[in-house]
Amino acid sequence: MSARPCASPVDFALLADYWLGDAGAQEPALEEHLFGCGHCTARLAELARLGAGVRTAFLAGALTAVVSAPFVEKLRREGVRLREYRLRPGETLSCTIAASDDFVVSRLAADLRGVKRLDLLREIEGRPALEMHDVPFDPAAGELLVLPPAAALKKMPSHVERVRLVAVEEAGRRTIGEYTFDHRAEP
Amino acid sequence: MHQRLAATLEDGALARAVAPGAAAQPGLDRAQAEAELCRRFAPRIRLYGLRHLRDPHAAADLVQQVLMTTLERLRAGEVREPERIASFVLGTCRMTALEMKRGAARRERLLETWTHVEEAAQDAEPRPLDEARLARCLEALPERERSVVLLAFAGEKSAQETGAELGLTPGNVRVVRHRALARLRQCMEGR
Repeated sequence: MSARPCASPVDFALLADYWLGDAGAQEPALEEHLFGCGHCTARLAELARLGAGVRTAFLAGALTAVVSAPFVEKLRREGVRLREYRLRPGETLSCTIAASDDFVVSRLAADLRGVKRLDLLREIEGRPALEMHDVPFDPAAGELLVLPPAAALKKMPSHVERVRLVAVEEAGRRTIGEYTFDHRAEP
Repeated sequence: MHQRLAATLEDGALARAVAPGAAAQPGLDRAQAEAELCRRFAPRIRLYGLRHLRDPHAAADLVQQVLMTTLERLRAGEVREPERIASFVLGTCRMTALEMKRGAARRERLLETWTHVEEAAQDAEPRPLDEARLARCLEALPERERSVVLLAFAGEKSAQETGAELGLTPGNVRVVRHRALARLRQCMEGR
């Protein structure tokens, strides 16, 4: 690829907008530039490579993530094998992950109306295991969808895990719900 | 020698060297000019294909078809402004991608004629990333940034869609996304 310097390199944020379909009216002119510019093409290729890597890492079950219900549905449509658990606040359920599962989805029912900032705290066998601060959520959804890292979960022995959702408010911290997973490792 | 000369030329000069009766560049033969054009444009076409067709195999097909069409038209003297070859290739990309979306028949017979086109399409495939490092970099992102990046790249969702699903404005999604990408690039470079 030609690596001649570009007199007016496209901003990386705009390249990302273009790649993700958010460039709007700028798209035709941007494509004209990209086709005449090896330098900016190389930067777009870097972005594309990074994006493909993100998807690969995610599908390998390497990440913990808060996601949306439509995102989970899209995965299901693509053939990703999902095991799903729904919990209400205060509820305990038995759960597992099979070797054939790609992901486990925890759907935590919660009244998130009026919540500005939400933290998720995870304990395993009574010990703090993970703190996720300022997780994104749709206040109208009435639930939070969490994907634990499937690859690590498959290697874990049977254990009890507690998840707590905490609203962070000016007056202090308010627990919105506690959820208990009695995880049984597959033999 | 010729390949080195070809690499120094502008796109338009290369295109003129392919056109019939071309004597634009002493010491540069048509095959070398064609090979250099393919080398330059294959990554651009592939990215266009990935962006618009969202499928690596379809993107590879697009590279072959567009390069074949371009060289065929150049050889036949049917590109009116060779110095604007980039625009011609982009226009061909747009039309070909549309045809591919409509399920148009592939032009297999041309593959036998344009062997360096197939090589260029293969060369345009990107190098793999250090996946373990990228996973660590993603885990190190703030939660909001990780969710936005996942919805964007694993879910192929626009800022509008991501915002609606995560309770953010599209503008906020773009800001968070940009910040996350900057962090990821820094992390991957070890900064």
